[in-house]
Amino acid sequence: MFKTLTTFEFKLHVRNFFTMFFALAFPVMMLLLFGAMYGNEPSSLTGDRGTVDLMLPAYTCMIVAVTGLMSLPLTVANYREQKILKRFMATPIQPMQILVSQVVVNSITTVAGIGLLLVVAKLVYSVQFFGNVLTTLMAFLLVMISMFSLGLVIAGVTPNARAATSLAFILYFPMLFLSGASIPLYIMPKGMIVISKLLPLTYGVRLLSGVWLGDNLLDYGLELAVLVGITLVCVGLSTRFFKWE
Amino acid sequence: MFRKCYWIMLEISSPRGIIGLLRQRGEEMDVIQVSGFSKNYGALQAVKHVSFTVAEGSVFGILGPNGAGKTTTMECMIGLKNRTAGKITVLGLDPEKHRHELFSDVGVQLQETVYQSAAKVFELCQLFSSMYKKPLDYRNLLDRFDLASKTKSSIGSLSGGQRQKLAIVLALIANPKIIFLDELTTGLDPGARREIWTYIRRLQSEGRTIIMTTHYMEEASLLCDQICLINQGEIVARGTVDEVITQAQIDLVITFETDGDVRSLLKDLPKMGHMKQEDSVVTIYTSSEETLTDLILKLSAASIPYRKIKITYPELEEAFLKLVNPTMKGAVS
Repeated sequence: MFKTLTTFEFKLHVRNFFTMFFALAFPVMMLLLFGAMYGNEPSSLTGDRGTVDLMLPAYTCMIVAVTGLMSLPLTVANYREQKILKRFMATPIQPMQILVSQVVVNSITTVAGIGLLLVVAKLVYSVQFFGNVLTTLMAFLLVMISMFSLGLVIAGVTPNARAATSLAFILYFPMLFLSGASIPLYIMPKGMIVISKLLPLTYGVRLLSGVWLGDNLLDYGLELAVLVGITLVCVGLSTRFFKWE
Repeated sequence: MFRKCYWIMLEISSPRGIIGLLRQRGEEMDVIQVSGFSKNYGALQAVKHVSFTVAEGSVFGILGPNGAGKTTTMECMIGLKNRTAGKITVLGLDPEKHRHELFSDVGVQLQETVYQSAAKVFELCQLFSSMYKKPLDYRNLLDRFDLASKTKSSIGSLSGGQRQKLAIVLALIANPKIIFLDELTTGLDPGARREIWTYIRRLQSEGRTIIMTTHYMEEASLLCDQICLINQGEIVARGTVDEVITQAQIDLVITFETDGDVRSLLKDLPKMGHMKQEDSVVTIYTSSEETLTDLILKLSAASIPYRKIKITYPELEEAFLKLVNPTMKGAVS
């Protein structure tokens, strides 16, 4: 039953153009755009590493943002508004299974998007990985869990799909452009950097970029604390306030 | 041990078992009992002390204006909402506590559910089939509801009538004993509505019990064995369609044409409410059909010719309007 549900949800998920574009195509486009502008030649400005080497971990955050802050919450908010969650409550399926299957399909897309990005980066720019695989995976998982839990709050507490869409856009677009996920923060003016410090994803980008380049997880106490804090608060909020209808 | 229980269960539910015997003796089984049921949303009393029973194999209509509490009543019967007070049993179980046991016996179409427009018909059917232990074959169901050609279409491309038929198919996949239909035909064109009616009839002939809400009185008159009329959360009338019409106490209307003024001749007709004559057309309002006999006797005795004599009985719609809004005189012209 859960398998059929997840397969079903996955098919619908893949048919969503917005998600597929921003999770699969857009990051690759950004990679090629910035790669074409700056190349991946090591320079003294970037600590003897190529620009693409530096930007790649940030681009993965861009993918997590679209699945976690757009696709997941908007699908769930629509399901509630269209009374699909309610309809499923009158079947042997637990509505919780729908949430779980949504988390699963969005995780799959996230991993697929990152996989595609890495393959392109490797083929076109021979990008290099300087970190520890396990540490990087842990950091990535934390970033993903924190963004997904934020997404569930958007889905769970907004009164209707329109409000969820507004809130998701308000969170997604600033984070896409001002967290360093798509455009490096060092080229931003000071004011933007102040704003970036208010965006949760900024901490995800910093953490992931750091461990990607070989730093230790524990060098990023603030980032870890912010991401874990967001996760705890969001899980708490959605458990307490999630509206099924 | 398990096996023994199983055989006992089988014995009880078999046609020759206890339940079968009860039925043979002509005792009607109530599959749903609602007594003293109330539901509040905060300070708002949506449903107040409602009681009724639904007999097995019948079509039961819950009627009422928008916001009367129809959907709330239905959702509490399914167990989607918890009631504030009273008792509800569905197939002998409390839907609030035993929702999960009831799922495979209760099929549901919800008024507001809009299925994912990107999903294909067969994908939704497969999903619903995967939820139940012994689902009906959805291909047969689609075929029966003339949706076989739409199997691979997306939900978004279906017409309103097709979507509602699909909603019935999805409700039927579990092979339920009871089907809840909440305003199934609202927004459909008259052709599609009539098509749905034939399907509802067919479901009943298979022995399924149907509980439906509607605000089409014609639909209720045609389909429902029993109706209950709810207004502002309270039952205002209950029974067969004819019984409810009788409860509304609406006058019959007798009209005929004649030459000359007959008003003084007819003014003392027994049980007549009032009478009017416009040119040759005479209209008489009465509480009893006997007025017709008396009328004809009087006209014959006075040798007055009459034409186009007609008696009009009140329809459910007039009864509905009168019962829901007692100050309204009804739509009789």
